[in-house]
Amino acid sequence: MIEKIKIFLDSDILERCLLGDTTEMETLQAERYITMYPEVGKVYNELQENLETYAKLHAVQTPDGLKEKILSRIRSEKVGRKKFFRYAMAASFIAAMFAIASFFFWDQNQSLQEENTMVSNKIKLLEDNMKQQLEDVRNQFIVLNNPQTKKYNVSGNTKAKELKAVAYINPVKKLSYINVKKLPHLPEDQCFQMWAEVNGEMLNLGILEQATGSDNLMALPYAKNAVGYITIEPEGGNENPTVENIVANISY
Amino acid sequence: MSTLLEKHIVELLQERNDKAISLLYDNYGDTLLGVAKKVVRSDDLAQDVLQESFVKIWKKADSYDPSKAKLFTWLFRITRNTAIDKLRSVNAKTDKEIQMDVSDVYTIGVESTRPELMDVQEHLDKIEDKYRIVLDALFFQGMTQQEASDELDIPLGTIKSRLKIGLRELRKIYGPALVALLLNLL
Repeated sequence: MIEKIKIFLDSDILERCLLGDTTEMETLQAERYITMYPEVGKVYNELQENLETYAKLHAVQTPDGLKEKILSRIRSEKVGRKKFFRYAMAASFIAAMFAIASFFFWDQNQSLQEENTMVSNKIKLLEDNMKQQLEDVRNQFIVLNNPQTKKYNVSGNTKAKELKAVAYINPVKKLSYINVKKLPHLPEDQCFQMWAEVNGEMLNLGILEQATGSDNLMALPYAKNAVGYITIEPEGGNENPTVENIVANISY
Repeated sequence: MSTLLEKHIVELLQERNDKAISLLYDNYGDTLLGVAKKVVRSDDLAQDVLQESFVKIWKKADSYDPSKAKLFTWLFRITRNTAIDKLRSVNAKTDKEIQMDVSDVYTIGVESTRPELMDVQEHLDKIEDKYRIVLDALFFQGMTQQEASDELDIPLGTIKSRLKIGLRELRKIYGPALVALLLNLL
């Protein structure tokens, strides 16, 4: 017999394993020995048989009625178990429904929140836009109705004779507007662009659209001794004015 | 018990068929009640223990692995542990210490002994108490040889030799085949 088997059998691990009194490590060790070494397995089997025989020697006759009591307890356990499973299933179903409903509402909530943010942003944008327009209209009203406002008729030079515009300048309120009444027809690859020279700096005021029929006042940045220019530029506008293409200038 | 019947019971247990409990009771009830009584030393308590043990057996049926232990070993463990727990809870209630009283523990009442076991009782009586104490301490009280030595105040060497002799006595009664193998353990 291998020495370690003898040592194992001399220890009381197998006896304690028989009674379920071993630690987890000892149980694993015992199971390994029982499986690996037939002699240990044989001893363990014999030990089990002896335990059974020895226990039988102490058998006590069970009293009448005990079996029925036990069986009725087992049956009630079975019913309880069935009931438990039924309740568990019902609970699981409700939980699942609740989870689905929760997800649905959460999802709805998320979409509504997104929509809410979008609407708020739109409202803010509209508000800003409206304020801007209102401010613009207010300024236009001030300029047009103020007796100190000077009106300048602007005509185009030889390059754009048909150009007609009216500039309104109010040095007190420091506001200036231009109303481009008529623009000569240009080839498709060209456009009119408005500029303003303010304090020695050339500002791009954007491209002038062809007259739409309605009078549109365009705000000009105000400064003392500022000069406004209208130039002909390639389609899409230019970064700097093409001086030789100046068609009109407004000093204000 | 025949292996065939044992197999059948295990199958019924795994199928959650309560016939298994009926068969277990018929085949092991007396023995397990005896085990419970050895530990708790009271007929009423032993019956309670048996009931609780059967409920546990039913509930734990899934955990039984025939490759790791014989059916009786598994039943024995459950009953013995239930009995030990019961004894502890009763003792905790009455605040009494467990006494290893040999004369109380090892006498089986005649009124609760089956007539067919009477000759067994006689055989048991033939084994001297000092040997039975050791066998019982190891099998029923779940003591290790060292613990039995400490508890019974008997040197370890004496525990080992009494176990050997006790088993030899058993062999005289039940034939050499049964006990000889146990001796290999010692």
